[in-house]
Amino acid sequence: MDRRTFLSRNAAVAAVPLTGLSLAALSDTAAAAARPAPIDFTSDLPAAGSFPKRWICGSPSCMDNTDPPVQVHWYNPHAAILRQNKAYSYEAPFAPLYFGNDRVLLLDEGFVQLRNDWDLRGVVDQCIDDWCRRNGRDPASLELLVAFSHLHADHYAATNQFADRPNTRYMGLTHEEMVGFWGMTRFPEERVTLDLGGREILIWGSPGHVVSEFTYYDSYTQILYTGDMFYRGRCYISFWQPWFDSMKRLIDFCDTHPVAHVMGCHVEISKDGQDYPYGLTYQPDEAPVEMTVQQLREAYAHAQKITEPGIYFTGTVFLCNQTRGTTTIDRNPYRYD
Amino acid sequence: MAQNPAYNSALSGNPQSATARTYPNGNPALGYNPPGARHTDSAVPLHRKTAVVHDYACDGPAPGNLAFRWTYGSNVAARNRDPRVQVVQYNEDTFVLRQNVCVHWEAPFTYLLFGNAGALLIDTGATANAQAYPLRETVDAILARWCQARGRKSVPLTVALTSGEDAAQNQGLVQFAGRPDTTIVPKPLALMKRFYGLDASWPSGSGRIDLGGRVIGVIPTPGTHRDGVSFHDPYCDFLFTGDLLFPGKINIGNDRDFVASLERLRDFVRQQPVKWLLGGHVEMMFVPGKYYPRFATYKPYERVLEMTPDLIDEALAHAREIQGKDMMLIRPDFVLFNGVSPDQKTKVWPEGVPDINPPRPF
Repeated sequence: MDRRTFLSRNAAVAAVPLTGLSLAALSDTAAAAARPAPIDFTSDLPAAGSFPKRWICGSPSCMDNTDPPVQVHWYNPHAAILRQNKAYSYEAPFAPLYFGNDRVLLLDEGFVQLRNDWDLRGVVDQCIDDWCRRNGRDPASLELLVAFSHLHADHYAATNQFADRPNTRYMGLTHEEMVGFWGMTRFPEERVTLDLGGREILIWGSPGHVVSEFTYYDSYTQILYTGDMFYRGRCYISFWQPWFDSMKRLIDFCDTHPVAHVMGCHVEISKDGQDYPYGLTYQPDEAPVEMTVQQLREAYAHAQKITEPGIYFTGTVFLCNQTRGTTTIDRNPYRYD
Repeated sequence: MAQNPAYNSALSGNPQSATARTYPNGNPALGYNPPGARHTDSAVPLHRKTAVVHDYACDGPAPGNLAFRWTYGSNVAARNRDPRVQVVQYNEDTFVLRQNVCVHWEAPFTYLLFGNAGALLIDTGATANAQAYPLRETVDAILARWCQARGRKSVPLTVALTSGEDAAQNQGLVQFAGRPDTTIVPKPLALMKRFYGLDASWPSGSGRIDLGGRVIGVIPTPGTHRDGVSFHDPYCDFLFTGDLLFPGKINIGNDRDFVASLERLRDFVRQQPVKWLLGGHVEMMFVPGKYYPRFATYKPYERVLEMTPDLIDEALAHAREIQGKDMMLIRPDFVLFNGVSPDQKTKVWPEGVPDINPPRPF
């Protein structure tokens, strides 16, 4: 029983004055009449969509950057992908926004805390308003779920911007709360299904970069969102065996489910495979964020040969096996003999 | 007899008392300047007949002031509205310029020195684009004002680099191409040696740039760059060491040259008075041994720029210690990187140095 039927049933049982009852019934029918038919998210899969040729990626001089703080790209009419401007933070994470008939799911956020710095909440609200206008919905009727792949500040720091937003739920900032948010009892193997209203999101655990990380698969666009555990750049693997097991789970999933794109949360690599060092605020030739299942399989094949800590290039990503605290790929360009 | 006579400041011998005056902060109805006052650019008298000639010989270092805190970028780099070039006047003939951190994270320092016969610009910043980093415009403005104060039409400018190959210091050079009355020290190592007359004596010899009463010494100091030089100003007793020695992450290009150059500087400091070493960047924090990472565009807790000459001995001792080893080494005022990535990290903390966690702004 949802909240709406719960309230109206109580009202009926208590037999409140006729005016109140009839008013409630009237507004119910009015709402039902105004509500368009639900969008079908289950046929013609995968839903077609496109990534931009080039994302906003900072500028040589940060203070001369005139781009918006976050780029909103509509992958298709029911999925937006947000990407932070590099001149607003070098982390520049990506954040998908999936729309269903009842709920909206925001996965990850930008590296921002205050709405003063830049207003992620306003951008998300604008996206929801746009989507509702296109589809004849009332934005207030949609529930927003603010979730994140893992507990690093560039993924969760903006949560407080949503604290006073009505009809919004967000994940807690502990492993237990995150697991509980999705109702998981056997992390990381258990795969749960989130229903956004006709659109199913499959969620399971992908520890390795950190202990508590999740993978999200959208059954509509068939995008496999792997967060920081696998992305086009330096995958900082803190815990090798859990990460390897998580990769195995991803491969198993790809064997049994159609996957259109594998998408990580950052891009730190150029089109020709050059590493963009940590902290860079301008990436003019960056590689696309989306990866293919084949690239995921190649990385897994490469990972099977890795036995030692170190940095390995799979052709698509750098696997930084337990090297985060020690070094990066970059060298001093002014060395001489 | 009144028990509490009102305090009369005039009777108490204090006629300037603020409380007793009708307008303690000045009468707002009056103009800003008293009658007859004229706006002037400087305390130097107007309408002088001949150019001022300054005597740069002095006992001890010429006095001056250096900023305690430099512009340090902002949390959201794209929203920064600080000046693109921060100008600090050390004294009438010495200027320190800093590039805004949000224009380029290297935020290099650039020095402008004046003598009776010329001006010298040491280094040119990390950005070529004059819209983003108007170095030439700023230098021109300082030169024009200096000329006005000294009763001159113009002053010739020399542009020299502490390292021709360093992209964090040579980018602004293009802005000076074609500037009249300007000498640019050539960037390639061979031409640069010839310019300073160091063809035969590099790196043991020394060159000079005569600004007229103020002769800047040129000391070859390869080590972080193969073409590194340091400049000595005998007027303020400064040593401009560029990338060789500065409060930050010193990426050694060749450790043998680095040690030899520090030895040369140490010998130099024994013979000549040196008040401060001024490097090309600041990357250390206020707390000892902690530093900002590369590409940081917000550095609110920077160490001061100036280093005392005894740090040469400390740098030398530790440069010898890491010579021939691929490692990094943290010291309170600088960090040495030899043969490792500029992003190398270490868990080794120098003994006896307090390990203070600096405030970490989000």
